[in-house]
Amino acid sequence: MNHYDAIIIGTGAAGGIVACVLSEAGKHVLLLERGSCLSFADVGRDHLRNQRLAIYGHNAGPDVNGNPRVFVDPQGRSRIVKPYELDYHNNAACVGGGTRVYGAQAWRFHPDDFRMATKYGVPEGSSLADWPISYETLEPFYERAEWELGAAGNGDSIQHQIPRKRNYPLPPVGPSPQTVALQNAARQLGWVTTPVPLFINTEPYGGRAACIKCKYCVGFACPTDAKNGSQNTVIQRALATGTCELKTSAVVETIDTDERGNVSGVSYFENNGGKPQRQTARAKMVIVSGGAIESARLLLNSRSALHPAGLGNEHDQVGRNLQGHLYPRAYGISPTKIFDGVGPGVTIATTQFNHNNPGIIGGGMLADDFIKPPIDFWYDSLPPDLPRWGIENKRFMRENYTRVMHVRGPVQDIPSPEGRVTVDATVRDQWGIPVARLSGTTHRATVEAAEFLRQRGEEWMRVSGCDKVWSAQPGLILSGRQHQAGTCRMGSDPKSSVTDEWGRVHQHNNLFVVDGSLHVTNGGFNPVLTIMALAFRGAEFIARAI
Amino acid sequence: MNSEVLRAVVDCLIPADDFPGAYEAGVCDYLERLLQTDLAHQAEFFRAGIEAIEAEALGRFDKPFAYLSASEQSSMLAAIESGAVETSWPIPPACFFEMLVNTTIEGYYSEPQQGGNRGAISWVMTGFEEQLDS
Repeated sequence: MNHYDAIIIGTGAAGGIVACVLSEAGKHVLLLERGSCLSFADVGRDHLRNQRLAIYGHNAGPDVNGNPRVFVDPQGRSRIVKPYELDYHNNAACVGGGTRVYGAQAWRFHPDDFRMATKYGVPEGSSLADWPISYETLEPFYERAEWELGAAGNGDSIQHQIPRKRNYPLPPVGPSPQTVALQNAARQLGWVTTPVPLFINTEPYGGRAACIKCKYCVGFACPTDAKNGSQNTVIQRALATGTCELKTSAVVETIDTDERGNVSGVSYFENNGGKPQRQTARAKMVIVSGGAIESARLLLNSRSALHPAGLGNEHDQVGRNLQGHLYPRAYGISPTKIFDGVGPGVTIATTQFNHNNPGIIGGGMLADDFIKPPIDFWYDSLPPDLPRWGIENKRFMRENYTRVMHVRGPVQDIPSPEGRVTVDATVRDQWGIPVARLSGTTHRATVEAAEFLRQRGEEWMRVSGCDKVWSAQPGLILSGRQHQAGTCRMGSDPKSSVTDEWGRVHQHNNLFVVDGSLHVTNGGFNPVLTIMALAFRGAEFIARAI
Repeated sequence: MNSEVLRAVVDCLIPADDFPGAYEAGVCDYLERLLQTDLAHQAEFFRAGIEAIEAEALGRFDKPFAYLSASEQSSMLAAIESGAVETSWPIPPACFFEMLVNTTIEGYYSEPQQGGNRGAISWVMTGFEEQLDS
């Protein structure tokens, strides 16, 4: 059979949910994944080749060879980049997508994140805009994602900022030694704190075991399957219906249209160990859930006589407003040992500075960090005045690996239409498909917010009693990577957006984008829970429409 | 790659104290494997850099690098790090030195299976692990 009710492209945070909702509604679904299904052993524990520190390779796809992108730096110089390089802006390519190896922070966006233009005005040169829906509209779907995948947290701590109707299904992760110091300091400073919400089984949930508190969350797979991603929750439910067909190593080349320009299905390459074969499949609905870079690339590559600029791109909006997060970071040496080897390591955050910061547009959350392997610590966390080698460097590693406190946070990007995904005119991947070309940055107002958050981080370290404090802030660079978003933004005006509030591409009744691409803005939080909430909401709409 | 000069260089980058230096922990083995695999395309560059360090030592002190005092070794490597070399280098010294430091550190602090962290010694030293892995 090659005629389906729906074809879903991508099995990440959004695609898995759409597959689950549609197949449980009795629809016949073809779920296509360009990567493969990775076991715990496949992902491995290589400290130099993982999604968090990828020096010579990575561990969750795409393959290092045959999948290039082109990156254009702020000076306009372009170069071909491999999937593990920073400028590739990779997210994982495997069943589960980024959720296979993510840290699993399960944050809701703040109500003001949905009305940024109204709250702050639009700075010149930015494409800052309100979402077409409010927090209140999305709230029930946040709850649904938290309960159906399994989130752990404290529902009361920031109720006054981000109201919720129902608590988390699981209690939050427990405190670590640094938690107490950070909590006491925040109290002195008058800052609100909360345990960090996580898609981690702090108790057995969903038929799977509890977290064993190992040191390998972000960048790796969970040894007890206690980290809840698409691959072990919603995709399993989809497959259990018997009406969802999952194909891996299936790389979509184009979304196809008929002679009248209506979407009819997809053409894709399927690689079953031998020579890749081109296949076609037809469906009533096509849902693109490839992540902000690959979803935009696919729409742009789906050109025809009636859609010469690609699908949904009549007004040159597809691929614009690429955003993710800048991460300011602050460190300090604690007078006492704060490392206890108990994972995941991230325990406490302040949401004091997500909004209402004087002279700043937006802001962000600050939290302590996941346990860092020593080599990751060496690259990330050393003071800038420390020699990079020699006995002094070794002594610092020896004395302070267990004493360096660290907070970091995602700062809300202020989008620019110049931060964007296009398709390269000449570079192609191993299947001959034009690759993504990444260029531009977000708006400079983002850096003002990042600098403000860097200073708050330093303040938090000092008041926590740290002897020596240092910090870093990345400057104005293209952000994207695991938090990539914004390239097919939702909106009511087809001239300034790609889809309507359901993810339906303007002028195409049966073509949807459902993933981080839809985010008009990306909040000052890890975006995955918002991607999931939008996916539940969009999927219910699609199920009704089929 | 297990040359006398390389051993001395990695031990200058990560010297022994109560815990082993880079050579004893296996970093030369790690580098040898890395330069045959992921960094095979830079093996010649790396070899040229190590030879240039030896030539720099002979030029400055008329002695092989391994026979310099610890402080002579350190100050010479610091000069190379900043590009202040006194002999003619076939490759950019600072660029090579950054690669040398990063790869040495990677071997020493990554997981023992990579070869440069025998007995998980750096993990015990930092406190990442409390006990030696078997």
